[in-house]
Parts: sequence; structure tokens; C-alpha cells
Amino acid sequence: MSGGTRLENANPLIFQRSGERLLTATDEDEDVADPIDDREIFDIFSKSINDPEHPLSLEELNVVEQMLINVNDEESTVSVEFTPTIPHCSMATLIGLSIKVKLLRSLPDRFKVILVSSQTHLINKQLADKERVAAALENSQLLEVVNQCLSSRAM
Amino acid sequence: MVWDIVSKRGRRRRSCCAHAQLSLKPGWLLFFRMAADNSVLLGLVEEFVSGQVDSKAAETSEKSIVNVIHCLSSCRLSLTSSQPQTRGRGVQLLSQVLQECYSSLSERELEVLLAFYENRLKDHYVIIPHVLQGLNALTKCSVLPPGSAVSILRSIFQDLHVQSLMLAERSCVYNILVSLMESKEEELKGLGADFIYGFVQSVDGERDPRNLLLAFQVARNIIHRGYDLGKFVEELFEVMSCYFPIDFSPPPSDPHRITQEELVLSLRAVLTGTSQFAEFLLPLIIEKLDSDIQSAKVDSLQTLFISCMQVFQTASEGVESAGLSALSALVSCLSRSVLNSDSEDVLQVFLSLVLQDCQHHLCEPDLKLVWPSAKLLQAAAGASYRASLIVSAAVIPALLEQYNNETQVRSLLMYFSLCLLHKHTEDSVLVAFQQSLCSVVFSALTESGAGLQVTATRVLTALGQQPGECSCGFSVEEVVAVCISLQKIAEHVRDSEGIGRFFHDIIIPHLLGLCLQAALQSRDAGQLFERKKQHLWDSSCHSFTSRQVEIPEIDRLLVQLEDLSCTGPHLFSYTFAAKCFAGLVNKMPAGEALDAVLERVMKRISVELENVSSAQRTQAFTLLLWVSKALLLRYHPLSTALTDKLFALLSDPALGSQVADGFCVLMSDSLDVLNRNCHADVRIMYRQRFFAENTTKIIQGFNSAEQEKKSYYLKALSHIVSNLPRQVQLTELPVLLPLLLEALSCADQAVQLSTLSCLQPVLLEPPAAIRNQLEALFSRLLTLTTSPAMKVRIASLQCVHALSRLPEHMVLPFRARVLKALAVPLDDTKRLVRMEAMVARGEWFLLGSPGGR
Repeated sequence: MSGGTRLENANPLIFQRSGERLLTATDEDEDVADPIDDREIFDIFSKSINDPEHPLSLEELNVVEQMLINVNDEESTVSVEFTPTIPHCSMATLIGLSIKVKLLRSLPDRFKVILVSSQTHLINKQLADKERVAAALENSQLLEVVNQCLSSRAM
Repeated sequence: MVWDIVSKRGRRRRSCCAHAQLSLKPGWLLFFRMAADNSVLLGLVEEFVSGQVDSKAAETSEKSIVNVIHCLSSCRLSLTSSQPQTRGRGVQLLSQVLQECYSSLSERELEVLLAFYENRLKDHYVIIPHVLQGLNALTKCSVLPPGSAVSILRSIFQDLHVQSLMLAERSCVYNILVSLMESKEEELKGLGADFIYGFVQSVDGERDPRNLLLAFQVARNIIHRGYDLGKFVEELFEVMSCYFPIDFSPPPSDPHRITQEELVLSLRAVLTGTSQFAEFLLPLIIEKLDSDIQSAKVDSLQTLFISCMQVFQTASEGVESAGLSALSALVSCLSRSVLNSDSEDVLQVFLSLVLQDCQHHLCEPDLKLVWPSAKLLQAAAGASYRASLIVSAAVIPALLEQYNNETQVRSLLMYFSLCLLHKHTEDSVLVAFQQSLCSVVFSALTESGAGLQVTATRVLTALGQQPGECSCGFSVEEVVAVCISLQKIAEHVRDSEGIGRFFHDIIIPHLLGLCLQAALQSRDAGQLFERKKQHLWDSSCHSFTSRQVEIPEIDRLLVQLEDLSCTGPHLFSYTFAAKCFAGLVNKMPAGEALDAVLERVMKRISVELENVSSAQRTQAFTLLLWVSKALLLRYHPLSTALTDKLFALLSDPALGSQVADGFCVLMSDSLDVLNRNCHADVRIMYRQRFFAENTTKIIQGFNSAEQEKKSYYLKALSHIVSNLPRQVQLTELPVLLPLLLEALSCADQAVQLSTLSCLQPVLLEPPAAIRNQLEALFSRLLTLTTSPAMKVRIASLQCVHALSRLPEHMVLPFRARVLKALAVPLDDTKRLVRMEAMVARGEWFLLGSPGGR
């Protein structure tokens, strides 16, 4: 039910970059273990995922917000709830898939990843299904687009 | 509270005009009856009320309590009249009576009267003036019941708009405030911010000077007696500051003779009364300083100064420093003002104010105001040359006189001199005092107090920095005595890094400057040289080498330096001696003299080094290192012999590690000596040349070295390579790669790290030769990703990342292996490592994948 007068994906609101995470003294202390925390997961995305339609990072587009990440290092679980820029956008699935893939590639194997979209609940089921995700990635065209999303701009 | 008329028949409300219902408490019934019989008074009252005849009725009342009641009862009809004028006259009479006899009223009576008066404030405006007069009288009573002050003020603030009243009424209100503040301070404080607000409302827009004096008095009381200003600080300030600066010309017929001065001082006391006003006051003053009116300027300045004095009563450092810098800025501003022949020098005026207040504190060292005053004076003096002249002329002589009396005075003197000297080096401010100041400084140096000595040394240094004139007029003995005490200081503070540095950077060069001047001037120079001790000398010498000076007796200097560097026990001394020596050697023109020196020094070094049990091998090695560098930089033919010796020493059991580190010194830029800023002889491309000539030697040495020593060779190599320009690194890599790979498997973490850091930029633009080494490279790098040292892990991950950029066909075979291996550091305990691993692994995933790079 998209409104006829509304433009699809008109320039989304751009939110401020949260800025680099500041180094603390313990970060460089060999004897202190740093647990994996929410910000770390968030930084995975802020640096590397592009919205294919907009050449800015997902953080700047506020697709993924920090508060919606929940990590438990001890129990090896991570849950991410993301909000696509436009709820009915067909790219939402793609963004979801890219996020899932990125998480799989960036986290240790022990982690169980739960990814949900806050608005389009339809895709949540697909994202939760491992076999479905794996099958999707075998489609080389899909993989191509996912990889394009994940190509980091920093290089 | 409503007055009801009580008759002996019990309570019955007599219906009257709604505003004026009158009753008396039962206890006063007796008086009521008595009064009612006094028809004479009644008649007079009638007369008063109906006509304009004022005073008779009041005058005929004696000062007794009964009279009040007489009046009350006599007036009661008028007080309850429906005509406002009549009521007004009634209240007026009552008030006038009260003014006469308020002091004899009791608390209960006051309660009743106050209640009545407060109620009357809601009445017709004609009545208000009289009501206020009555209240004014009542509030002067000493036995005001508790709670009455608050309720009076509440009624006044709520029911009246003070500024709409006439002058006399407003005066009444202010007088009421003043009286209540005198007697009922605690109660009023209980009102809190409401009181402030009410006051601000009442004063806002006041113009009459008499009233203003009263208002300022109230404001002063508010501030000085600790009333809580709540959130109305700015409002209170605003309402007071709109009168600043006061511009008042009293009319010639003013019976009260209020002067502008009175108003100014009164207002100033308000504005500078609390530090809470500071943030508003300072901008205001700065704004008003731009005024064209002289008196306004002066007023602003004086206000500012008073507020600065207040600054030191607060404990806050932030406020203090802000105040001081404001003062400084102000003085510097004033100093720039242009003087006409007939106008007052504003700067003088201001500074005389400052001096007046601060100076006498300085010479009374027992009071705690010494240092605050000193700081103020320093802030003022430091602001401009003119100011410093004025202040120093006033302060220094007094301090000099007092010098012998008090230690604190001496510290003060030092402090001041220091400040003055540091700020203004164009023209010596202290020229007039120089002689006495110097002698004072010298005697301070021989004192035992360490703090004083250090300050005195600083002063001496600063004096030395004055253009040209310091060395005149001092006898050799004086200077020597100073040096001896400096030496003692140096001995005491040997372990202190900061003071050592200070000595090194500041004192020694200047002392040496002095010496040099003296040496050039007289033949007694030798004596001076003799008397100085070594450890003052050497650290100064290398600063010498930084100037292009013709050094007299350079041979002697070299000999002494050599001695020192070979025999000096302290790291500081022998290192610097070596550096000095090297600096001199580097600049010495080629020829027999240089050769002779070199021969001599090499002989000595060799002898020392060969003697394995000698305690001074490190010193000898240091000298060797620096001399090698000196010669290397200028392409001197002997440099090869020296560097060969260094290479040979890499295998030395005792010195090997130091030698390896020494290569860093050899190759990198030194900050203090042997660089272009010091006018050293540095030829271009010396590093490349060195590298090119010695690579084979290094590799050979490495191959033939024992296992434990191999790491020294590698370290030396990595130092050499990392200092090479990038292009050279790239072209030389094929030759070195096997060595670097070897270095990667070396157990020494430092070697690993330096190799990795060499390697990484090269990998970004890898040469073709690398293809043969990939297997070794990958396996070594991947092993290092789990090294115990965090930095090594990070560096190796970065190298792996860099490798992902190689042509696909070269690295694709390694992809699976890399992805698997990198899963481990993804779970590293350190976040920084995890981030690197994630980035690297992500890139490797994209490698060879559709949509990837």
C-alpha cells in the first residue's frame, strides 16, 4: 500500500556518524581480555556495508541502529534488529541477507546469530533459516550483489 | 483576617462596606468602652477626618497605648466609611499616631495592627500611601511577631505595584525592606528566591536618587548577608547594572545633597559584592570601557579592580586565573591608549590603584595576601612594556631594600624579576636595577634553599638572555662562585630528569656563552676553563657544535671530550661527550689535523674494545658509533673501516645487542646533533650508499653467525632497511626477501615486529620476485597471527590483508587456507586483533568471488 504521491526511496534522512570508538588503556594491555560488545558488532557494519542505492554507509542511513544490537559473549549469542530505510523496499531482503552474511564472515564460529527486521517481518523467517541463506548464496548473481554491498569503501 | 465588631452581646458581624470591617479582640473591650467616653478626642478626630486639619488630633495624643486605642475607636467610624477619602483620612491619622508611639506597642497589639494594615493594602489607591506609612512605623518595632515580616512582604509584593506609586511611597517600601532586613533576617531568608524576585520587581525602573541609595542598600544587604539568590542572580544583576555607570548631576537645590560619588560607591559595592555576578559584570565593564566619557571609563576600571580583589577570596582556581587574565588583558588594552597632553593617563590611574592596594601587602610577608597580590601585580606588569616599567619602578626597589630581611621577600623578588624578564626582552625593563639584581641573584644562588636556588638560576638565565650586557662588570670570582653553587645544585638534582633537562637546555648553553665571551676577551680564559668541572662541560659542548663558531683551542676540547666519553661514568655524560666529539669531527675540515685526531681516537677505541674485561667498553662503543656516523654522513674514506668494526661487533657476546640497536642511531636522523639544522656535513643518499655497500656483508655475516646471534644481524638489517626510502626498499627486496623471511621465523619478537613493519608497505606494491616466496610467506605470517605478542598478531594480520591485493592468480590457491586460519584470530582476546582479523578475512572472502574486488 505505498502512497501514490510518495517517492520510493527519496533521499533518506542521514544521521550523524557516531564517530570512531576511542581507544582505552586496557585495549592495548595484553593481559586484559576485551569481551565482545554491542559497539564492536555495530562497527562491523558501520565500516563496510553499502546500501546499493545510496553510496553511504548503513550507519549514516540509520538502517542499523546501535541500540538494536544485543551481544552476549559468554553465551555466544548475538541478536541484531535492523530497520531498512523504507519498510516496503524490496531491497530490505537484500540488506538483511548482506548483514547476515557479514556477521557470519566476521564472527567466530561459536556464535549463534539471530537477525530480525523490525518492520518487514516477512523476511525474518527467511533470514533465520540457515539452509535458505546458504542456498541464496549459491546463486552467483545474488552473491555478486551481496558482495558488492559488502565491499568496503575504506580501501 | 477580617475585623469584626464585637459587642458585649457576643459576636455579630456588623454589615459595612466590604473592604472595611472593623472589630476588636475581646480583650480590649475595656479600652473600647473607656475610649468611647472620651468625647473630646472623638470630636477632634471627627474634625480631622472630615476636614483638612491634620496635626491637632495626633499631637494631643500622648505616647501611651491607650491613645492608639482611642484613635482606633474614634476612627472606627471613619475607618469603616464607604468613602475612600474618609477611610484614607482615618488611616492617615492612625498611621501618624503609630509613628509616634510604635515603640511601646506589645506583640499582640502589633499582630492586630499588622493584620489590619496588611489587609488595607488591598484597598483603594488613595489610602495606600497612609497604609504604607503606618507599616513603615510598625516595622520599626523590635517586637514584631514571628511570621509577620514574611506576611508583610508577601502582601506588599502581591498587592502593590511599587513602581506605580509616588516617590514617597516607594521610599516607604524600601525603608520597610531595610527595617525588616535588620530585624528579621532569618525569616526573610526563609522566603528564599521569592524575596529576591519581589525586590527586583519593586526596584525595576526606579529613578530617584534617594530611593536608589535605599535600593542599593537593600541589594548590598542581600548580597553580603548571604541571602540565597536562587535562579534570580541574573535578574538581580540586571536590575542593578542598568544604572552603571552612574551619571548623575545633582540639582543645585537638592536638600539631601546626594553626590554622584555616593551613588557610584554604593552601586559598586553591589556589583562587586559576589562572585556570582562575575560572569555578567566582566562583559559589562568591557563594554563600558569603550565609553567616551572619562568618568565612565574610570568608574569601570575601578569597579573591575575591586572585583579582581574579590577574586582572591574565592577558592576557585578557574575564577582566579580568569580574573588575572582579565586584568592582564585590560592593562594591555589600556597601554595602547593614545595620550593627549591634557588628558589623564588612564593606565597610570589604573595602575596606581592596583599598586596602592597590592604593594603594601608585598612587604608584609606574614599576611596571606602576599602571593595573591604578587600574582595581581605580575598579571598587570606582564601585560605590556609600559605597564612593566611602571610596576617594576614601584615594586622592585622596595623589594630590593627588604631583601635581607625575609626569605619570602627574596622569593618574591626572584619571582618578579623572572616574570619581567621573560616577557620583555626587546628592551631591558630592569636596566636600572641590573647591578643590584645580579648581586642579589648571586647571593641567592649560594643560599641553601633549593627552591630559591632554582628560581635564582632561572633569573640568571633570563638575565643572560638579555641582549649583550650580562657579562659586563662581573669579576671572575663572582662567576666562579656562581658556577660552584650551580654545580652543587646539579649534584643534588642529578637524578631528577626535569631539572637535568633544564640545566642541559638552558643554563649550560648560556654559561658557555658567557665563558666564551670571557675567553675571547681575556687571556685568563684558561683559568676559567680550569676551574669548571667536567660534567658541566660536556653537555654544553654539543650545543656548541650546533653553532658555526670558530672554537678556540679546539684540540684541547677534543682531547677532553674524548677523555670524558671514554671514561665518564654516567650515560648522560659519555653519550653527550661522544655526540659532541662526533659533531666536531664531522665539521672539521679534511686534512692532517683531522686524520691525526681520528687515528688517535681509533687507537684508543680499539684498545678499549679489545680488552674484554674492561669496564668501559660501552663507552668506547658509543664513541665508535657516533664517530662512525659523523664520518658516514660526510663520506669520509675512513667511515668504512669504522662501520666494518661495528659489523664485527655484532657477534660480540657482551655488546652484540647494543650494537644491533646502534644501527638505528646510525641510520636515522638525530635531533640534536649531526643533522642539517646543526650545519653538519650531510651528504645526500648516504643511507642508500651505505646499504648498497654493506648488504653482502650483512648477509654473509648472518649466514655465518651462530644461531643466537642471528637475531642481532636481523635487527641491524631491519633498522637499516626501515630507514631506506621506499623506492629503494622495493628494488632491494628481491635480495633481502630470504633474509626477511628468515627474520619472520626468528623467535625475537622485536625482530618479528620490525620485519613485519618493513614488509607490509612493500607488500602493498609487491615486486614480481615475491611470487617465489609466497608459500613461505603465507605459512610464516599465518603462524604469527597467533603469536603471544599482540602487536605481532596485528602486524601479521595486516600483512595478510595486504597480500589479498596481489594478482588473483597468485594468491587464490591460498584462499581456503587463509580463511580457515583467520577464523582463529576472529576470537582473539583483544579487540584490536579481532578487528584486524575481521577486516582481513572479509577481504579474502571477496577475493575471487563474484561482485568482489
